Amino acid sequence: MGLLTILKKMKQKEREMRLLMLGLDNAGKTTILKKFNGEDISTISPTLGFNIKTLEHKGFKLNIWDVGGQKSLRSYWRNYFESTDGLVWVVDSADRLRLEDCGRELSALLLEERLAGATLLVFANKQDLPGALSKEAIQEALALDEIKTHHWCIIGCSAVTGENLLAGVDWLLDDIAARIFTAD
Amino acid sequence: MLGYMWQYVYTSFLRYWLKWLIRHVTGKCELQRICSGHKACATTTTKAEYSLRSSKNKVLRGALETSKNNLEQCVDQIMKEKNVKPEKDPLFKESLHICLLQITGYSSLFISVEDVRKEVFTSENPEHEAMLLKLWDLLMPTVKLESRITKQWGDIGFQGDDPKTDFRGMGMLGLINLVFFSENYTEEARQVLSHANHPKLGYSYAIVGINLTEMAYSLLKSGALKPHFYNTVLGTPELRHFHQLYCYLAYEFDKFWLAEEPESIMQFNQYREKFHSIVKTHLQDPGVSLTLTVHSQN
Repeated sequence: MGLLTILKKMKQKEREMRLLMLGLDNAGKTTILKKFNGEDISTISPTLGFNIKTLEHKGFKLNIWDVGGQKSLRSYWRNYFESTDGLVWVVDSADRLRLEDCGRELSALLLEERLAGATLLVFANKQDLPGALSKEAIQEALALDEIKTHHWCIIGCSAVTGENLLAGVDWLLDDIAARIFTAD
Repeated sequence: MLGYMWQYVYTSFLRYWLKWLIRHVTGKCELQRICSGHKACATTTTKAEYSLRSSKNKVLRGALETSKNNLEQCVDQIMKEKNVKPEKDPLFKESLHICLLQITGYSSLFISVEDVRKEVFTSENPEHEAMLLKLWDLLMPTVKLESRITKQWGDIGFQGDDPKTDFRGMGMLGLINLVFFSENYTEEARQVLSHANHPKLGYSYAIVGINLTEMAYSLLKSGALKPHFYNTVLGTPELRHFHQLYCYLAYEFDKFWLAEEPESIMQFNQYREKFHSIVKTHLQDPGVSLTLTVHSQN
């Protein structure tokens, strides 16, 4: 029995997952987290540092880390990579001007060794806004089809209405569970 | 459990018997005993508020929801109901009036604050734009803004090239607070900004400001600020009093942050919570007054 197998068995018992939520500032990370947790989303202010929430979902204990996205904070992102099972990349689908910036940051993350084993969920957020790009357009702009190193999926959603948040998280949990809990 | 039962027995029976007894011994009703001969302060107003709220009399309970213009009439009605003679107790009327202005004023202040918060910052509104540029000029008098959308906004602690997305849930309330502090306490605001731009202990000035607006807002909403306003405003508190409170928070948070020497800005939320508890502890004190005192020469 290898060390990896033992670790996997230990995790299996706890059924605990660590999710890291990143993206540019104003993408809607905190709003997604709060909406998913059933909290009020009308008085959110920009995140300095990070928020962490632990919640139960589908029999799993989820530790979700929501780290601020402003430029000066991005160099700290690396401090949160360790033992991440799932990476949630949040995109403001209405922010066309910064889509390139958004793609560049994501590609850089996918090269990180400590994120190598993580499943990637891309939330094309703010689909409720009139000028929002479709998830297909975001998929193309971020060149997601070129990703061969990670399991990935893109889902169009709205943190304000809550649309598709559950679908996204469910996909992420299923993928992670299939990787780490059923392997022997 | 025992405490809970005692509470029930006390509020449902004992309190009334006790009030009745004291009333007959002293010849004064509870409101008179609270208001007469006492200076207006949080203790008096809080007691009066409790007395009115738990009263069986509709007129007394209704006083808490009366609009400002009808308050004087309302005080007369209460005096009639309670059989208080103005010639016997000349101080009562004025004292109760002030209490009621403070109590009803707190609720109406929250409504005004909520209206400003709900007003979303939009670049299409020239007033909003002008206010944003004014903030820059007040904080950075010697540096010209190169264009409306520029990296320079980072110098006063916004997140990106255009501050408009940073106001979020706090809307115009966040911007107005920032401008109010810079306008009324210009020296202090610039001093705080210079601390915020410290290479090691720095933080995002404007973003922290918006977070502190949220703190002030939630304290107001929960009712925690009542003793502060009851002590500092002898009448109806207005928006500017709320902005003043923000100034106190912005100035005090900066002092707190520098003294704590956090490892990095990533610890912000922990320190924000710690500061929040300190403020809430101050607010437990009936004599509380969260005012920014400036030790300047002028």
